[in-house]
Amino acid sequence: MDTRNDETQPARLHTIISGTADRLVGTIFLLPTVLALLFLSIFPLIASLYVSLTKFDIALGGFKLTFVGLKNYKDLFTGSEGTHFLGEFAPNTPLTWTVFGLIVIALAIFLARYFLNARISIGGLIGRLMLTLGLGLSSWMLVHTLWNGGRLGTASITLVYVFVGIFFQYILGLGLALLTVQNLPGRRFFRVIFLLPMMITPVGVAYMFRMLTDTSKGPFTPIWQAFGLTDFSWVNNPWSARTAILIGDIWQWTPFMFIVLVAALESQPTEPIEAATVDGANSWQIFRHITWPSIIPVSMTLILIRLIEAFKIVDLPNVMTNGGPGTATQSLTYHAYINWRALDLGASAAVAYMLLFLVTFFSMIFVNLIRQQTVETL
Amino acid sequence: MKSKNVLLKLLSLMIVSSVLMASCGTPATTAPEAATDAPEATEAPATETADKMYEGVTIDILTFVGPQVAEPLQRRGPDFTALTGATVNIITVPNSELYQKVLTDAVSGTNSYDGYLFAPSWIVDFAPAGLIEDLTPYVEKDAALEWDDVAPFFRDFNSYGGKVYSIPLDGDMHMVYYRIDSLEEAGLEPPKTWDDYLAVAKALHGKDLNGDGEGDYGSCISKAPGQQSYWWIWSIAAPYIQSQGSNQGPFFNTKDMTPLVNNEAFKRALEVYKETGLYGPPDETNQGVGDSRGLFLSGRCALTMDWGDIGPLAIDAENSKVVDKTGAIQNPGSTEVLDWETGKLVACDATTCPYAVDGVNHAPFASFGGWAGAVNAAVDQKQKDATYAFFSYMAQPAQSNADVVVGKTGYNPFRISQFENKQAWVDAGFSQVAAEQYLSGIEQSLNSPNMAADLRIPKNHEYIQVELDRILAEYIAGNLTTDEAAQQLYDSWEAITEEADREAQLTFYKGTLGQK
Amino acid sequence: MKRWFQSKSINTPSPVGAILSYLVLGFWAVLILFPLYWLIVTSFKNSGQVNEGPFYIPFVDFKPTLDAWKYILVGDLSKDTIRNFTNTAIVAPISALLALIFGATAAYALVRFEYRPRVGAILTFIGCVILSILLVSAGLTWQIALVVSFVLFFILLQTIGRRFKRALGNNDIAFWMISQRMLPPIAVVIPIYLIFQQLHLLDTYTALIITYVASNLPIVIWLMRDYISNIPIELEECASIDGASRYRIFWSIVLPLAVPGLVATFLFVLVFTWNEYLLALFLSSAKVQTLPLTIAAQNATRGPQWWNMSVLILIMIVPVIVIAIILERYITRGLLIGAVKG
Repeated sequence: MDTRNDETQPARLHTIISGTADRLVGTIFLLPTVLALLFLSIFPLIASLYVSLTKFDIALGGFKLTFVGLKNYKDLFTGSEGTHFLGEFAPNTPLTWTVFGLIVIALAIFLARYFLNARISIGGLIGRLMLTLGLGLSSWMLVHTLWNGGRLGTASITLVYVFVGIFFQYILGLGLALLTVQNLPGRRFFRVIFLLPMMITPVGVAYMFRMLTDTSKGPFTPIWQAFGLTDFSWVNNPWSARTAILIGDIWQWTPFMFIVLVAALESQPTEPIEAATVDGANSWQIFRHITWPSIIPVSMTLILIRLIEAFKIVDLPNVMTNGGPGTATQSLTYHAYINWRALDLGASAAVAYMLLFLVTFFSMIFVNLIRQQTVETL
Repeated sequence: MKSKNVLLKLLSLMIVSSVLMASCGTPATTAPEAATDAPEATEAPATETADKMYEGVTIDILTFVGPQVAEPLQRRGPDFTALTGATVNIITVPNSELYQKVLTDAVSGTNSYDGYLFAPSWIVDFAPAGLIEDLTPYVEKDAALEWDDVAPFFRDFNSYGGKVYSIPLDGDMHMVYYRIDSLEEAGLEPPKTWDDYLAVAKALHGKDLNGDGEGDYGSCISKAPGQQSYWWIWSIAAPYIQSQGSNQGPFFNTKDMTPLVNNEAFKRALEVYKETGLYGPPDETNQGVGDSRGLFLSGRCALTMDWGDIGPLAIDAENSKVVDKTGAIQNPGSTEVLDWETGKLVACDATTCPYAVDGVNHAPFASFGGWAGAVNAAVDQKQKDATYAFFSYMAQPAQSNADVVVGKTGYNPFRISQFENKQAWVDAGFSQVAAEQYLSGIEQSLNSPNMAADLRIPKNHEYIQVELDRILAEYIAGNLTTDEAAQQLYDSWEAITEEADREAQLTFYKGTLGQK
Repeated sequence: MKRWFQSKSINTPSPVGAILSYLVLGFWAVLILFPLYWLIVTSFKNSGQVNEGPFYIPFVDFKPTLDAWKYILVGDLSKDTIRNFTNTAIVAPISALLALIFGATAAYALVRFEYRPRVGAILTFIGCVILSILLVSAGLTWQIALVVSFVLFFILLQTIGRRFKRALGNNDIAFWMISQRMLPPIAVVIPIYLIFQQLHLLDTYTALIITYVASNLPIVIWLMRDYISNIPIELEECASIDGASRYRIFWSIVLPLAVPGLVATFLFVLVFTWNEYLLALFLSSAKVQTLPLTIAAQNATRGPQWWNMSVLILIMIVPVIVIAIILERYITRGLLIGAVKG
């Protein structure tokens, strides 16, 4: 590893630095972190990859792993496990063809624009091809499982949790953060209150929502009954069950977005805003042209972190619905957890690796396309 | 370039030193050599006679967080110390993760625990691998345990391949509980068959059962996935499938290991299970046994199926609205049973249902089978002896008979003397009626020659908790028809059997049924 | 009329704006507080009162009982509660603090220095890792395998590793770091268990702290990277002209300026470690169990014990709230804003 000073920094900084410690500063600052991460990441990563290629059995005096090749992965795409993982595919209808056709055209345009662009690099090409393929396949899966008789598999359900959840968490978090950085009496009170949901242990939040959403003894029972919903329960319908879980997720994680955005908003310089006010800019213009650009980097990081974390959602579905009705609220981690509990460690690791693949795919898209572009265009 | 070298040196220093630290550091404190010597080699594991024979020994026992099940262990630990000198540590983890904790600890050779209080159906995973100790020699020498007083069914259930591997502290089976007052009022008899059950549930559904002016439920049987639904379904299916005595078994055809699920009997059971949901609370598909039990105890259900726990819980006036209103009967049966050859239901007669009572074939299902203590095979002999002695102490009539009558302990009777001696129950606060009602339900079940045992073969987690649970959940959610569910279950079970080696599985299965 | 819509200064909303803001904030506060109120109420109920339907106000529609509180704090469970609470209170702050220290320095390094790890070196490293695994599966003890492959790594690095000129950059390092959080815990918990078993560190604070620090470092680094890159580099340049060392600059200029970010990040990591469940479950066998385990355990064979759970959640959340209240003022005090604010 070479350590050099950032090119953007003036050379004089570099020339002044002297002494062994100073020459090593880059190493000393980064090394402990790298070592800690290596220590706890290499072995688990490789071990679980290996386990995903094997069958686990308890054997005399311990356990044995029988190598089975890609069987665990093959199982995930075929038969009843395939239905579980990918969903139940409905037959094609004009609607599915239309929607899928539109998506394909959009992806084709995206690729064509890149090819027409003179600067083609190998890395960029491979990346874009992968992106097109990945998005094409996932939209093929979604158009066939979302409507007319299709059922979502754990992969699609996880995507729903992740994207819907993050969308609302960010919007709500940003809105609340903007409100509480105003000079309002009592804003600190609100800030502490808004932090509370994040502080409860996830298992606890899940049980709490289970209590709250209970239709026979929960606090909202009289309201259900007033609406004549005595015989209806949210747990029996896939989308109402997913909504309940999403509400829990949004409730719990909006504070994460909120507090980081508050810190970001608080630390932005006020001079430009004052200057703009003097020039007669209205508050929307100030937000759009001054505030928003300054919080974009933090926002992108936040969304990326939540993206990665949200893919691992497990406590809420496990506790609130046990994955039901049917398998309609199971996330990928929950899917892996079921196999894990039943000692099928190989299948569990295979699901985990598919999850890793999905997360990596979406974070790469996010980091390479969205994050870079939004940050760069500023 | 220079900085890189320094970095590498640092890296090497750290790695090498950590290796050294680890290899020269603390010697293995937790992984003693697997003791292979037979227990005969040491003193007989007497339990009451010893004058502090385990002085200085500390035993760590793993179970789940109470109060039920763990509480008596914690309460009686000090008594045991006073008696033998051994210190007992009860270590508790969340119930949902107990199996994985036991497994990782034992399989990885960590061996942090000397004994486990777990489900006897797990011994099939641990015993063949030599991870838990064969307790037969201990039991044979242990007069105070009064092993013969343990109901035969539980003696078998805690054994594997003819050897005892765990000491039962609790006996579990499903029973149906009903509201004596509500049924009487409506002029209904307690259900004898599952059809009766549905009829009673239907008749009482929507009636006000607890006097609060609101309509209540005819039947509460939990249906949540990932909880216990796979046990309820077998409680319903067993009398339709098994009619020739306990060693026939309801799960597989003992000829060729084909699953007995794609037939009229199991489909009928699926339909019954689903139909009970029509007379239950609206969110029953998301209820575990805790929810349905809570509803029954608060007087909101006319019928429920549960383990023995309801009996002692129902008499606790503070939390129960059904004191002396709770009747217990063995699980309902069926007047038609499966013809194993054709897969069709046939009417009961002397040959098809030799054990039928009044033309109804019962097959009480001992789901789960109770909590039991097993001893880690990899710890020192002294530890093993002390651990066994503690489990034995807990299971001995002097202690056990006092524990099973108390609802808080979560222990249900497993000894013959425990349900024969009604006085103990009355002393514990049961009214005469309640004690009789409750114990007759248990007695009926345990005396049945056609009792059905839980599935105990390798891969039983995959058969039951993965495949059956998922298919049942999809069925209850309305995503599968009865035929599709039965067919899917059949196919997935066949796939597991095929993968695990059909012959071996069949031998195991017959072994657990006591067939040759 | 107009003054109702006019704000006095840039950060103070107009009266109408203030009222609307309060309405929204109040609404959200109710959404947050009602579930917590329900927890408090439930903690004073017994099982009958929970099962018989919703009761809202103690003394009015039900008679509160202290049973659950007694059970948790002085009764059967008290020993476990106190031990697990102590463990949580030791492990979480230490892990959070260590993660913050290492993470903030690493984040600073990633923002201000340029790293160019060679692809050749990385490939050599991966090769040696695979080699050591092969050696272990061939029957060597892991200690020897590690030393052998490390020596080999060193030699190869000086020779083959230098051949490839292609190198990665800071963004790649950062992405690699965050990617450490991508595998679900369920997949890594048993391998991590085995690591600590081999090191004889199971059931120790060390194991938990190391794991928590490592698993939270990526988050610290990513959050702190953004805060630090917002700090004007001119300040550091001035200091270095004055002869301050890098460490000095980091300590006396960068860190104080990053306080809002540091505090927010610390709070997260504290919360994450405070509440972590799965790793704590496996890395502890008795002595270092933490409080989330006790909460999860309240769903035992008799179904969820709502009242006990509520008590435990409340006990667990109080210390974090106190810390949040203390730290919140630092988040507020954006130092860059200076005296002109308001």
